[in-house]
Amino acid sequence: MTYSSSVAVGRQRYAVRNHNSVSFKASAKALGPVSNTIILIVLACLLGLLYLSQVTKTNAYGYQINNLQQQQASLENEHSSLQVASARLQSLDRVQSSAPAQKMVAVTPSGTVQ
Amino acid sequence: MDWRVNPAAAIKSVKRVRVLFTLIVVVFAVFIIRLFYLQVIDYGHYHDVAMIDQLKKYTIPAQRGLIEANQGGNIVPIVLNQTVYTVYADPVYISQPNKIAETLAKIIGGNPSDYMGDLTAKGTRYSVITKRLTQDKEQQLMAYKYPGIGAQPESARIYPNGDSAAQLLGFVDADGQGEYGVEQALNQQLAGTPGRVKAVTDINGVPLPANSNNISIQPKAGDNVVLTIDMAMQKNLEQIVKQGDISGKAQGVSALILDANTGAVKAMANYPTYNPAEYFNVSNPDVFQNGTVSHDIEPGSIMKTLTTAAALNQGVIQPTTVFDDPGQWIVDNFTIKDVLPSAGPQSIADILNLSLNTGATWMLMQMGGGQLDQKGRDIWHNYMANDFMLGQKTGIDQGYESPGFVPSPDSNSAGINLTYANTSFGQGVTATPLQMAAALASVLNGGTYYKPRLVSQIISPTGNVIENNGPKVEKANVVKPSVGQGLAGLMQYVMENRAEPVNFDQTNYMVGGKTGTAQIAKPNGGGYYTNEFNASFIGFVGGAKPQYVIIVYAYDPNTSDYAAGYAGELVAQPIFVNLAHMLINNGYVAPKS
Repeated sequence: MTYSSSVAVGRQRYAVRNHNSVSFKASAKALGPVSNTIILIVLACLLGLLYLSQVTKTNAYGYQINNLQQQQASLENEHSSLQVASARLQSLDRVQSSAPAQKMVAVTPSGTVQ
Repeated sequence: MDWRVNPAAAIKSVKRVRVLFTLIVVVFAVFIIRLFYLQVIDYGHYHDVAMIDQLKKYTIPAQRGLIEANQGGNIVPIVLNQTVYTVYADPVYISQPNKIAETLAKIIGGNPSDYMGDLTAKGTRYSVITKRLTQDKEQQLMAYKYPGIGAQPESARIYPNGDSAAQLLGFVDADGQGEYGVEQALNQQLAGTPGRVKAVTDINGVPLPANSNNISIQPKAGDNVVLTIDMAMQKNLEQIVKQGDISGKAQGVSALILDANTGAVKAMANYPTYNPAEYFNVSNPDVFQNGTVSHDIEPGSIMKTLTTAAALNQGVIQPTTVFDDPGQWIVDNFTIKDVLPSAGPQSIADILNLSLNTGATWMLMQMGGGQLDQKGRDIWHNYMANDFMLGQKTGIDQGYESPGFVPSPDSNSAGINLTYANTSFGQGVTATPLQMAAALASVLNGGTYYKPRLVSQIISPTGNVIENNGPKVEKANVVKPSVGQGLAGLMQYVMENRAEPVNFDQTNYMVGGKTGTAQIAKPNGGGYYTNEFNASFIGFVGGAKPQYVIIVYAYDPNTSDYAAGYAGELVAQPIFVNLAHMLINNGYVAPKS
């Protein structure tokens, strides 16, 4: 039974033959079990859809996080490489063999009698 | 049109609908039951199977802490980390081996033929082409995108100063464990704490965050360690030690420079040495040892400095006392004598200068009241073990430190008086170079034994100072301050009366020293070799007061070139003299005026 047919049945109760009714009072009608079931299923589907969309969205952040972590690791590697390069440039062997050091001349030590 | 309904046909139609409906219900029921079985009853099995593919567990290695040192007034890293790559091939996917081999030779080095074996290997899916490839070269290689060529990253220790300070630093093995030196002693602080990730991932291994069971613990990087080492001094020490080892034809040399007034080790070196970045190429693991803390040998006559200090502190001798040398002592039926005949009156300064074993034995006798006895042995033992801290580890941050050995003063079958007479001139007792240097420093600085230290600070990865290791007094009042001054003067006298000119300006600086030559004991007992010696030299350099203690051990130098018994003077002393000049000439020592 549909909603419209249920209203028609209610209206028929007051439609007596040759009696023109100008008004009638429809009785209060609750939703039937089928309607409730359908509504519940639709709601469950909507909730499921909402959950799936949120999970998918959250997981999509995983890729962003992964990309950022890779970027961070790459920058850290670069930082380490630069740190190593800096340390190598400061190493005593390199300083000793550098052009300015090569031009230096030994002087007689003043602190000891040679 | 006949609108009437045929009842028989209608009934038949309803039946068909019912059959169809029943069929659909049955089919759905089968699906539902099967799904119920798979998803509820057999849930555990399929969950586990899915997790094998989807759940990934990773350990994220923690970045190891840096090791830093002083250089020109700045703190500079001397051990760092860098990502390097192991390049491998899966020969199954290699379709153009010649072309790839040419590329590898161009980027890595070598000839293309060197790589053909790995690229065309049969029966393996993992053939290592090279290890420790730098990041820039790895990127060059990977840009070619050759199928079957891959690179696995790993962290490696980098040493910008090459083999400098190798033994005191140690190395990190393939399992990430510190071995030898600082790396071993401070492995826990340097290593940090690895992180952990447990997550459901997609097919590419990317973690999917929407899982309540995911675990992500970030690694905690190791702490940085700042050493007391001065790298310029270290470099000079290494060059002088190497030169001394070669010219003295020794099996090896260990030497160190210790700040006499703080206990800070400023430089320590050994030769031969190795490159810690290529520790895996070392064939003789003995070179891994830092001999300055791990080689406890009989120190020889350098011990006479401590014997003299003990006797001076006991008040049984004075720097001006004259010793009437009998030329020899008979102790427990053995004769104690000197390298050269020494009978006659000798000053305390000449006991040290001529390195008289009879004189050292006499000083031990004076501590016992004039003879070798229990009292003298107990007093001397107390100085060695409890004041000079011999026979126990100093606790310096080094792997494999040796405690050395001090004999008990109580009677033994070998002749305890002979044993103790021997200890007075550095035989029958063993000590590492560091132990001897720290002991002499405690006398020269006026009587404070500072715990020798190699680490000045431990700093967190974020830059906070976790530990500030300043001078730590291990024992006060080791000797009276006057004893330190007296011994310094005696050692200066020794320095000024060397057979070879040493050329120190004693008016502006104070430089003192003492030679040592010790017979090498046979490994399984039975006395000493008659023609094998260890050479040693201990001394100090300073301006108004002793500033640095320097000690040199030269192991088993070739004595065929000179008279036995003079190894200390001819092999170890030149190394000391060069080191003292180096310290003065480079401005490490402030002159008196």
